[in-house]
Amino acid sequence: MIYNIGIIFSWISLGLLIFLFFNKKNLYTEILVRVNLFIQVFLFCLLEVGLFLNDFSLSYVANYSAKSTPPLYKFASLWGSLDGSILLWNLCLSLFMYFYLKLYKDPSSNIDIKIFTLIMIFFVGYTVFSSSPFAGCIELATIGCSTSTILPFAELVTSNTGRGPNPLLQNHPLMAIHPPMLYIGYVGMTMPFVAATSRLYSKKEDSNSWIEVAEKTTYIPWLFLTIGITLGAAWSYEVLGWGGYWAWDPVENVSFIPWLLATAFLHSAKIQKTQNTLLNWNYILVGLMFLSTLFGTFITRSGVLISVHAFSNGNIGTYLLFGMLLFGLIFIGIGSKNIEYFSKSKKIDNWFGKSGFFVYNNIFLFSSALVIFIGTIFPLIYETLYSRQITVGRAYYDILVGPLLLILLGLMIFSVKLSIKNLNIQKWLNDNVVLINIALMVTIFTLFLLNNSYILIVTVSFSFLLIFTTVSNFYKNFRVPKGSSSYWTGQIAHLGIGIFALGIILNVSQSFSTEKELNSFQEFNFNNETYFVYDTIEERLPEKNVLKLPISNSKQTKYTSLNIFKNSSQQAISSPAVFRSIINDIYITVKFINEDSYKLIVRNNYGVLIMWIGLLITSLSFFPRLRNNEV
Amino acid sequence: MKSRYITFVLILIIVSMPLISPSSESRLENWSKILLCPVCQGETIYDSPSEYADDMKSILKEQIDNGLTDGQINAFWVERYGERIITNPITNNTEILIVPISIVLIFISIFIRKLYVKK
Repeated sequence: MIYNIGIIFSWISLGLLIFLFFNKKNLYTEILVRVNLFIQVFLFCLLEVGLFLNDFSLSYVANYSAKSTPPLYKFASLWGSLDGSILLWNLCLSLFMYFYLKLYKDPSSNIDIKIFTLIMIFFVGYTVFSSSPFAGCIELATIGCSTSTILPFAELVTSNTGRGPNPLLQNHPLMAIHPPMLYIGYVGMTMPFVAATSRLYSKKEDSNSWIEVAEKTTYIPWLFLTIGITLGAAWSYEVLGWGGYWAWDPVENVSFIPWLLATAFLHSAKIQKTQNTLLNWNYILVGLMFLSTLFGTFITRSGVLISVHAFSNGNIGTYLLFGMLLFGLIFIGIGSKNIEYFSKSKKIDNWFGKSGFFVYNNIFLFSSALVIFIGTIFPLIYETLYSRQITVGRAYYDILVGPLLLILLGLMIFSVKLSIKNLNIQKWLNDNVVLINIALMVTIFTLFLLNNSYILIVTVSFSFLLIFTTVSNFYKNFRVPKGSSSYWTGQIAHLGIGIFALGIILNVSQSFSTEKELNSFQEFNFNNETYFVYDTIEERLPEKNVLKLPISNSKQTKYTSLNIFKNSSQQAISSPAVFRSIINDIYITVKFINEDSYKLIVRNNYGVLIMWIGLLITSLSFFPRLRNNEV
Repeated sequence: MKSRYITFVLILIIVSMPLISPSSESRLENWSKILLCPVCQGETIYDSPSEYADDMKSILKEQIDNGLTDGQINAFWVERYGERIITNPITNNTEILIVPISIVLIFISIFIRKLYVKK
């Protein structure tokens, strides 16, 4: 039932989009966009219904959900694997298309909706022609489904229970929020692409109107990308039990690349608006932002790279490469039509004025994106060239990306007050000498308590300087409605990044860990605190067995647990007991349990809460924009 | 003007701090952050809670206690698991630094040239 309806409505949706693409009358556009949104919402709900009714004749439900899966994770299973996540992708895309039509549509031309439609045809086409979440199961595997069909009205077979989602995906409620946030961010990068290409295609007198729309439509995806990445990091820290939050894993990298490019664009768009410079560069950035999301999906879903996140193979690789080529060509084609317009771009006069600083910001952000991109694909290239495998790990990024980000942190200090004219460093020092001294004193005080290294010193003093200058700026000027809302958005974001930088450098440089072997009802000392270990409690849930081990210090009791999932060959997932404080977390995971003796990993993780606070502040940067309705 | 001198003194203090209390990271910690756990998904043996990583760590500890040089340790692991085991590829492949740095430099030079040269 669901299978037939789902497949037929996917076809209808594709037909409707093709009609919309060739439609010449403006009259139908809005109706068609609405109907399209409606169909996508319907398809989304339909698959959810399938998941909740345990309709195991659907291959997707049989493979990625199970009877015993708790409701929240059943709901989240929709984006637990490739086919379903394309459905979520389509839903986001049609939502954005609707908002774009309502808020940003070029009144004199239909080309923006056409480009949007083309992109949607591309993704809906995938679910129709290649692999559909509504595919029906025609041959069973031991558990789940082995062969499926994407044609309707076939004879289906049904299994009793499904395989269930990947255990990693059903261990923490954050998993239900993190992927949709990232998707909204990812898919939203389509909007600036459409804005730039369509408005430059129809070429008007004031061709600079594209930058306004592109800038406005970049902020929302940027915000969601920030939140999505933060939640992903938090999930990794809270659930995976390895004490970390970022591993420079390919999938993390490809979510970070569009973020860096969008951050660069949000800055450079500003100086195009005020000084009419960097026209061609902004166009390139917008294109790369969009293409990098396709590239990211390609890398993570095609199976060319192994990573924690790369959970699905299929023929989507070639399909996405084709898409990148197609949209890349459209982008280059429209760009080359506007060579004359781009050549009007003004040169930079003041290398230490506002425009200069924004140029440096773009150079370093883009270079970081470039370095991360190269690091991500290097193992592939290396294997092709020398047929040997290498791993590009943390050290590469520490050496190459670290300094770039540190320079950016330093540049942000000056962002509080930039004039068009060149910065007079002498005057700047004189004006800010008190703040500089306070920042340095706080730095010294902090460093007394820490293991020292020069990279730590530079980062900590830059962070404090940034935090103090921004805060004093807020104190002095925020109530007076001075400066545009986007200026204050920037200031809040910078403050957040400053706090985040402080947290991350503390974490990277100060954290340490040890292993403890002990029995039930014993205690151990760690970092001037005594921890008492009780006996394990076994909890049997339908989808998993949980071995919980209560641990308490003088103030509170927390549980560390081993989660052993049924229907899964993966090793048990160890969830941590985290004793939090603003400066450091005591993070305890159980390594193995043997009768009543345990091996625990005890970590002292510095700065994690500071990091989350920083990222939260950065995410709150949308408030000033609300004030002026600029979102 | 006085506050200028304060700044100067503060900077002097800060710069000298690592000399007074230098950071300490043991060789074992250092190496276990470099070696990849081959049965885990992209984790180093330092991060991984698996028993396999445990065994690797104890071999590593023995090697360091026996005073093997970095080169010898490196050769031992690469011989057994291939180059993939070293997550710090910089030690064995200089191209991994040269390629991105040169591409970034080319990008920066084109970018600046385009913006700077006036017609």
